[in-house]
Amino acid sequence: MENTYIEKIQIRKKNKLAALYPSTKMLVVVLYSLCTFVIGTIKITKYDLPLMLIPWYLVILIICYTSGALHKSKNALNVILGLSLFILVAQAFLVPGGALIWKFGFLKMYQKGLATGISLAFMIMDVGGIFVWLFQTTENKEIASALEASGMNHKISYIFISSLQMIDVLGKNSKTIMNAQKARGIETEGNLIVRAKAFFPALVPLILGAVIGSEERVLTLEARGFACKGPKTHIFKLQKSGCEPRVKVIAIIVTVFIIGGRIALWIL
Amino acid sequence: MENKKHSMKDDFTMLALLIIPVGVAINFVGAQIAAVLKLPIYMDSIGTIFSAMLCGPFVGAVAGGLTNIVTGITMPVNFAFMPVNIVIGLLTGFLSRKNMFAIWWKSIVSVLLIAFVTIAVSSPIVVLVYGGVTGSTTSIITATIMAAGANIWTAVIGTEGVFTLIDKVVAYVISLLVIKVIPPRTLIKFGCGEHFIQEK
Amino acid sequence: MDFVMECKNVTYSYPLAETPALKGISVQIEKGKFYGVIGENGSGKTSFCALLRGFIPSFYKGNLEGEVLIEGKDLVEYKEVLAKKIGYVFQNPFTQISGVKDTVFEEIAYGLENFGVLESEIEKRVIEVMALTDIQDLAEKNPFDLSGGQMQRVALASVIILEPDILIIDEPTSQLDPEGTESVFKIIKALKEKQKTIILVEHKIDLIAEYADKVIVFQDGKIIANGDKQEILSDISFMNQGVALPQVAVLGNALKSAGLPLKQIPVTEKQAISLISDILKERGSS
Repeated sequence: MENTYIEKIQIRKKNKLAALYPSTKMLVVVLYSLCTFVIGTIKITKYDLPLMLIPWYLVILIICYTSGALHKSKNALNVILGLSLFILVAQAFLVPGGALIWKFGFLKMYQKGLATGISLAFMIMDVGGIFVWLFQTTENKEIASALEASGMNHKISYIFISSLQMIDVLGKNSKTIMNAQKARGIETEGNLIVRAKAFFPALVPLILGAVIGSEERVLTLEARGFACKGPKTHIFKLQKSGCEPRVKVIAIIVTVFIIGGRIALWIL
Repeated sequence: MENKKHSMKDDFTMLALLIIPVGVAINFVGAQIAAVLKLPIYMDSIGTIFSAMLCGPFVGAVAGGLTNIVTGITMPVNFAFMPVNIVIGLLTGFLSRKNMFAIWWKSIVSVLLIAFVTIAVSSPIVVLVYGGVTGSTTSIITATIMAAGANIWTAVIGTEGVFTLIDKVVAYVISLLVIKVIPPRTLIKFGCGEHFIQEK
Repeated sequence: MDFVMECKNVTYSYPLAETPALKGISVQIEKGKFYGVIGENGSGKTSFCALLRGFIPSFYKGNLEGEVLIEGKDLVEYKEVLAKKIGYVFQNPFTQISGVKDTVFEEIAYGLENFGVLESEIEKRVIEVMALTDIQDLAEKNPFDLSGGQMQRVALASVIILEPDILIIDEPTSQLDPEGTESVFKIIKALKEKQKTIILVEHKIDLIAEYADKVIVFQDGKIIANGDKQEILSDISFMNQGVALPQVAVLGNALKSAGLPLKQIPVTEKQAISLISDILKERGSS
């Protein structure tokens, strides 16, 4: 078989939704976020709560599920859920104003606090959630490739990918350095001052090494023709799933429908 | 050199381009180490401050902004704080270009200014996006102050203020410690590097 | 023309440096020859490499006097195309990884991508180079997960793939174990067989004695000797100037001064064995 290696580095996804072109996904993210803000202005029940944001979150779960990424997204979604709950509770009990809704001992929940709490918590869950979907179904390589395909300078995609790799590399190095420091008797546990003191010897050599390394990496890149002008080849080819036009149309229709509905509610 | 017109393109030399990923990674790893050591400060802008001190405002801003994009991939709520990191990069870079880290009293003024501006940019985000509590260690204190009846802005600015100041002082000290040990031959290659070369 | 590169009275100082790192360097590099560059640490070998590759002064800045010519043209005129003309490999394997590729295959292909080479050709050339450098097994691994020796071979492969006529290799094995060193020298040997012009800085003098055609000796920023390997490595007077010579050359000199009629001073083990066994045979027959 010809081009075996080049074939192997390609990303092929069976799921049509996960395989959408990154710019199409980005459009979905932008429109969904826009809708979230629109929906957040719809206040219902006698306490004027933006409760429509809650069912709107189902869209995230449905999109993640149909993209086959629900399991992968679970962790990130849960972290956001935890944060949102924290914000909801804090707001509900800390912000006074409006009618008293609920009271238990010294805990008092007022209308204003509950409304802000729901609004903030679910907007974060909704907008955060759609980004989770974007990034859990898109590999970094695809993002970089899409950036370049959209006409951005190859230096930008280099910096992007390189940052992700550098986090891995420095993360590993920092563990090595921390272990070495521990072996040399620098305490990393104990009271706050002891721990704070351990921070400096852990970071300074790490940063220094990375800076000196960057100097040499300039030579590496020059030697590989990084600065060469003229067209470049990309052996990694970004694939389209074929559903892009359909998804775009659906996303736009839903957005128009939601904005239209919001306006209708104002008028009626 | 002081009279030279700076164009943004001049700032992004090959070396500066390669310092950006390093800055992003330091931001990330710094925060990670702070978490491992259970320190009550974020330490997530050392890389921004470091790269801005060496390479100027625009490189610092890119390193800062990119940090939030990259960490946002796993934790999208980080996107909201992108303006903070960008402003830290810009401000530190301009200060460094004006040689505002040259002597101790100028450094103190600079770090205070950075801390002050950081609070000015981050507090509105904390209040408007998160309603004052972001789920971090500091926000528990904020919540307590709010529960005691303080205004949300007072609570946020008060708590964040103290921790931000410590955070920026530590970030500056670490950046300076590293810059002091970079050989002059290497320093000279950075946009603002010459300011840190001690004359013998 | 026989010379691919030429330095004409080059003096260079790094920025902020008080004394020049290179002083009055004049040298001509012959096409297809293998140059071993030796000398103490800080004697100017690495600066010499950076000079020939054009990193001095474009990257290192500083003050350069004199001329560096490649095929008769000033080096500055080549700009980024120089990557195709001159390959450059240095000590630290780790910083020679581009930092943007997930697999060794892509890492090696990176240079060709930058020069816009056709995909079908990329596949073919990467496979060839991986065979030459014996890293086919690593093709799908992450470059950062490799050992130092493996990384250095990937670095060499990534440069060789651009098919430069000239290779500048600066202490490629100083951070490697013996096994890694051997694998790297296997590649260098293969390059020599391909008639590449090679400029190699290496502390392991026995390896220079074995592979080089010519030897350039640096001391204190100057070239103090430049000539055939045999001639220079057997010259015991360099020992007094701090240049490490092969053990067998020292032995040969000692034997000669002890009155043994050696035809020449050996510089490699092989030569030493044949020279000494010749003498022993003569003695046996007489």
